[in-house]
Amino acid sequence: MAKEEKKKHKELLYNILLIVIIAFFMFPVYWIFVGAFKFKGQFFHYPPVFFPTMFSLANFKAVLVQLGGMRSVLNSLIVAGLNTLIATVLAIFAGYSIGRYKWGGDNLSFFILSLLFAPPVVAVTPLFTMFRMMHLIDTYPALIWSYMLFNLPFAIWLIKSFVEDLPEEIEMAALVDGYSRFKAFRKVTLPLILPGVVVSALFVFVFAWNEFLFALIFTRFNAVTLPVFISGLIGGHEIKWGLLSALSIIASIPSIVLVVAFQKYLIRGLTFGAVKG
Amino acid sequence: MADKTSSYAGQRRFAMLMGIPALIVLLILVAPILFYILKNSFYDITLTVPRPPEFVGGANYAAVFKDTRFLNALKNTGILLVLGISIQSILGLIIALLLNRDFRFKRLAITLLAIPIMITPVVAGFNWRMIYNEHFGPLNFILNALHISEGISWTADPSVALYSILIVDIWQWTPFVALILLAGLQSIPKQVYEASNVDGATPVQTFFRVTLPLLKPMFILVILFRTIWIFKIFDPVYILTGGGPGTSTETLSVYTYVEGFRYWRIGYTSALAVVQLMMMTVVASVFVRLMKRKG
Repeated sequence: MAKEEKKKHKELLYNILLIVIIAFFMFPVYWIFVGAFKFKGQFFHYPPVFFPTMFSLANFKAVLVQLGGMRSVLNSLIVAGLNTLIATVLAIFAGYSIGRYKWGGDNLSFFILSLLFAPPVVAVTPLFTMFRMMHLIDTYPALIWSYMLFNLPFAIWLIKSFVEDLPEEIEMAALVDGYSRFKAFRKVTLPLILPGVVVSALFVFVFAWNEFLFALIFTRFNAVTLPVFISGLIGGHEIKWGLLSALSIIASIPSIVLVVAFQKYLIRGLTFGAVKG
Repeated sequence: MADKTSSYAGQRRFAMLMGIPALIVLLILVAPILFYILKNSFYDITLTVPRPPEFVGGANYAAVFKDTRFLNALKNTGILLVLGISIQSILGLIIALLLNRDFRFKRLAITLLAIPIMITPVVAGFNWRMIYNEHFGPLNFILNALHISEGISWTADPSVALYSILIVDIWQWTPFVALILLAGLQSIPKQVYEASNVDGATPVQTFFRVTLPLLKPMFILVILFRTIWIFKIFDPVYILTGGGPGTSTETLSVYTYVEGFRYWRIGYTSALAVVQLMMMTVVASVFVRLMKRKG
């Protein structure tokens, strides 16, 4: 009986500890949220205002309409959307091809993984020079093209891991039934790896949406993406905390959707398929 | 029909045909980048000085390893790597163990914890700037209310700023470590623990002799992934401190950016790029070898 009691106390202690830890990790998320619902003066108030008092969307309206943040939201949507579309289509074929037929060997794997490991800053100067020569600075193609550098190898690698999960026999049966190789891929394999394709596309989208370094250097006015726009507002001599918080909430939407709706695949995606989770 | 399925050459051709578009894109993307940095790393090119590129041999590389600002960036990145990975591993393990129990709202707890991982790094940086604000931020207020500190200049004090960036990295990435380790814990069969129990091992003994050794592959993976990401850390540094005060928070990526786009020293920036690429190639080769052993 005493032992039972002790165990109960222990579990309670663990639960409290976990709640404290979650509070630490959630507080900054909460802080963005309240920030968007504060008056300007409340940011320069001591003690800090911990709970929102202004339940209006004024900050959202101000930053999107008056400051022109809407443009950067649209730019981000277009760049991330097109990058996702192109990378995913190319990666479906390449991921299937490498995963099913195991060609290319170690050298190909090494090539693809090195692209994922390389620091993006390495590519910034060469790409900048190239884009300037081709008059692509401050355009969508510059961003869509440069994001391929990490998103395409990522999508190939992740989709490949989903293809490898499927037993080869399923396709063999289709071939024996008289399907051509391509038809077997399209009718049998593709539907089965579809969850993997969706997960991969979502990650690719969020990576492009969150990207900062390339966008900072390759854009000026027209193609400025959301992170660059946010960073520009921070750099001003008067930081507009409320407006920035509102914009931050908008910027966080795709990430939160990914985490909440596809939590099962989160770790698998972030480890390029190495941990199945 | 049997002939068609077993035709090795046909199969190979089909596979290549599907894989090649993506690989061509990657080659067109990567080849000029590599060519550019390799070639220019042997030249003195400074865009602010109107003078044709001059071949300087290995001078840029020799300069890199004598450049105190590069070595400082290397040191800062190293501090973030060592402290970031060790703190995240320990804290991540504690969280994974707490999550690896049966309790209500387990799914909710995991979802909440996972949110920081994917938050736009620029947003995370801005948000921590609000939290760190010396006069109006909640952090100093809480520390003050608890009588821990009168107020810390989180981002303006050169001896503190790097650790402020470390905290942001810990906040954003510990959940990632925790979830990987949780996946590792869940894959340990119950029988292993039962056997250990039958043998009369105490929970502490079981933890150190059974659980930890079985988690080793996951730890290796975590360390590799965190190494890759921290090695290229840029966004939170740029947003929080811009590398300052002085150069106290300058990391490798931030310093490379400054050399390239503030001083426009293209030749030297290319040499910096090649050096960083070589460092990461070593990590990548270790990773490929470990992955192969695993599967």
